[in-house]
Amino acid sequence: MVYTMLLYLALVVFGIGLLFKVAGWFRFNIGIYDPSLTVSVRIRAAIQGILSVIFSPKLATLIKVLVADVLFQNHLRRQDTLRWVMHMLIFAGFTFLFFMHALDKIIITSLFEKYYLALNPFLLVSGSMVLAGIAIAAYRRFILKVPRLKTNAMDAYVLIILAVILISGIAMELTKLSSYEHYQIFWDIHFLACMVGLAYLPFSKFLHVFTTPLSLLANAVMDANSHPANVKTRQIMELDACLHCTNCSKRCSVAAASDIIGNSNILPSERIAVLKEYVAYKEIGARGFAALQEGISLCTNCDRCTVICPAGINLRDLWFNAREEVLQREHAAPLVLTPFSFYRGLKRQEMTSDQYKQPLSNAVKDLTAPFERFSTGEVVPLGPQNSEFKKTAVLSGGTVTYAYCFTCENCSTVCPVVGNYEAPQQALDLLPHQIIRSLGFGLKDAALGARMLWYCLTCYQCQEHCPQGVKVTDIFYELKNLAVVEANQSSAQNGSESAAR
Amino acid sequence: MKFALFIGCNIPVRVPQYELSARTVLARLGIEIEDNPEFKCCGNPIRNIDQNTFLLMAARNLALAEKQGLDLMVLCMCCFGSLKKAAHVMRQLPSIREEMNGLLAKEGLHYSGKFAVKHLLSVLHHDLGIDALKEKCTKPFKTLKMATHYGCHALRPSDVTEFDNPVAPSIFDDLVTATGAKSVEWPLKLECCGAPLLGVNDDLSVELTRKKFADGRRAGGEYLCVACPYCHMQFDKVRQIMVSGQDTAPRMDSIVYPQLLGLAMGLERDALGMTLDIKEEVVAEPPAKPKKTAGRTKASATDVQPQE
Repeated sequence: MVYTMLLYLALVVFGIGLLFKVAGWFRFNIGIYDPSLTVSVRIRAAIQGILSVIFSPKLATLIKVLVADVLFQNHLRRQDTLRWVMHMLIFAGFTFLFFMHALDKIIITSLFEKYYLALNPFLLVSGSMVLAGIAIAAYRRFILKVPRLKTNAMDAYVLIILAVILISGIAMELTKLSSYEHYQIFWDIHFLACMVGLAYLPFSKFLHVFTTPLSLLANAVMDANSHPANVKTRQIMELDACLHCTNCSKRCSVAAASDIIGNSNILPSERIAVLKEYVAYKEIGARGFAALQEGISLCTNCDRCTVICPAGINLRDLWFNAREEVLQREHAAPLVLTPFSFYRGLKRQEMTSDQYKQPLSNAVKDLTAPFERFSTGEVVPLGPQNSEFKKTAVLSGGTVTYAYCFTCENCSTVCPVVGNYEAPQQALDLLPHQIIRSLGFGLKDAALGARMLWYCLTCYQCQEHCPQGVKVTDIFYELKNLAVVEANQSSAQNGSESAAR
Repeated sequence: MKFALFIGCNIPVRVPQYELSARTVLARLGIEIEDNPEFKCCGNPIRNIDQNTFLLMAARNLALAEKQGLDLMVLCMCCFGSLKKAAHVMRQLPSIREEMNGLLAKEGLHYSGKFAVKHLLSVLHHDLGIDALKEKCTKPFKTLKMATHYGCHALRPSDVTEFDNPVAPSIFDDLVTATGAKSVEWPLKLECCGAPLLGVNDDLSVELTRKKFADGRRAGGEYLCVACPYCHMQFDKVRQIMVSGQDTAPRMDSIVYPQLLGLAMGLERDALGMTLDIKEEVVAEPPAKPKKTAGRTKASATDVQPQE
């Protein structure tokens, strides 16, 4: 009686949880907000989309993906045999146990009237398969220490609950004949663990048994012509399809950056978890938001994650949309003023001119704020020299060469950016030689604040043509690095001030 | 002759014909390449933000090539410049090299600087040689005029990149001439394509490219010849922006060098990616219509044909 009630309770929690999740796929939004895509529009588009695929030749694609990628996980096998073995052991073993053991009253008993085995060898074999799979998973996560294979609480929970179910189940089978008392204890543990797993399933990584096949199937049939509402819905659903296998982070082009910068949002697998929380609440704290923005902007759009994802998630489009949203929401980090923005430039027709330019002009404004005192006509004294600044501005060899400048203006003459403007100072604040002289005078705000730095092509014409061997472009790189540090410090200060208020 | 091939982030996704044609041509020329899926971003895009992160990312790739025991061959000029710069810094400043090695040790990597970093063009020019190349060009072009675009980050800073004479370079012209095509003289030959500022300051970036187009046309160039994915994407993108903005100023198509070479060698167009639909970002745009004003009408790079 108690068991039946617990089962129903678990089923109810499971059902409500699943509904809640599915509702989220239609409610939440990622990317630039489009008010025309209401929940009802999205639900209708989804139903229409599904029906139109089922009654079209695309059905064959669906079936193919279902067999090759969902059942046999071919794409995983091609990437990593050990992981495929691990997953197939768990998947096959668990599926067998689920239908032949958990549902035995419904399936087996109806087929074979006198089904009862004192010691069921099938159960032991399939149970051992799952256990072996878990052992491989634990070995990979805790012993092998694959670089950037991060393990979070959810990964640990999944392994632990599976292990408890399996070990108690096997112990239960083995003690069935020898000791009823022990059998009963194991049975209770086994049953309770199963119920916890079932009730918590929609909120755990186990949800992927539904969402990952869904993602694989959806991405196999969706294309550039798909309804934008369906693309939005799919992208939210895909967040739940992520297994946190961290394959993407291992292949990620810029993963090494996270080793120095220390922001886990740079790694795609970690970013997904943050995004999942972000789309649901749109609030992850100022620091969390800044980290997300930095992580998502620091991406070369090399598509490796998209190609490798075993859940078939279209990460390329997800990153693009998510980046646009976080860039529009708060002032953009300096990263938007680097070649990381090239891809965004290629895709500029996907947004309005304002949406495209706003984050860029905000970032320039933030970084060049120190220069404002020069534009107001204030007379800035040349002394005393800020020698501390001059010391910090020589991070690498060659930068010290600014001292050799005798203001011949060659650098500014050959600069194609300067040459592009009739009144270059209006567009750039300072010309290259003026920046070098500002550094010589120790004028920190002038050297770090001029727009010239951020509109520098880094084509090295100036440096190549300097008769004095001043490493102009390299100095500019360094000044930009310092300006970023300054801007981050001042925004952190503003952040803590507003938090205090 | 064997190299570790460094293709970078953009080529496989956005300029696949560069990779395909380079592989085809290199195989035919007997230059062996070894792939390394562990190669990642060269670090160039982060140079504006943080020098140490840039150095680590670059050093990681250098150390991986060292582990392979091979010189690096780079297809992208920005990657090339970035890797050369990191190697230069680490040669000059042993303290930085040690710092990087400390970080690389976590992945079991070490960089000592034993192996060279070369751009594809240098390999063809110096390691293979122009004469050997000419011999292979069995179907040379007769009348084609190319505006050869050098690209900044291979050429400068010359003390770091060691690519060619920075003021009067000749490597790329020699290579284009070897295919039978004429490499025209044009004043903006050594100027930047504008790509580093696309996505940062588009007005400026596009204007610089427009100037190059006009200048190349004025000098009689029919196509731009490039050996860098960024330059190529920039030329493609600006052309598309000009078309959609009904900008009637002269435009030019660009072609990556191994395609030009491959055609002169009489290789299959498919094996050179000539028919590959590469313009994923362009597909939404209307096709270019011939315009009567200024300059020639736009022809597709796939129209380049060697002449008998």
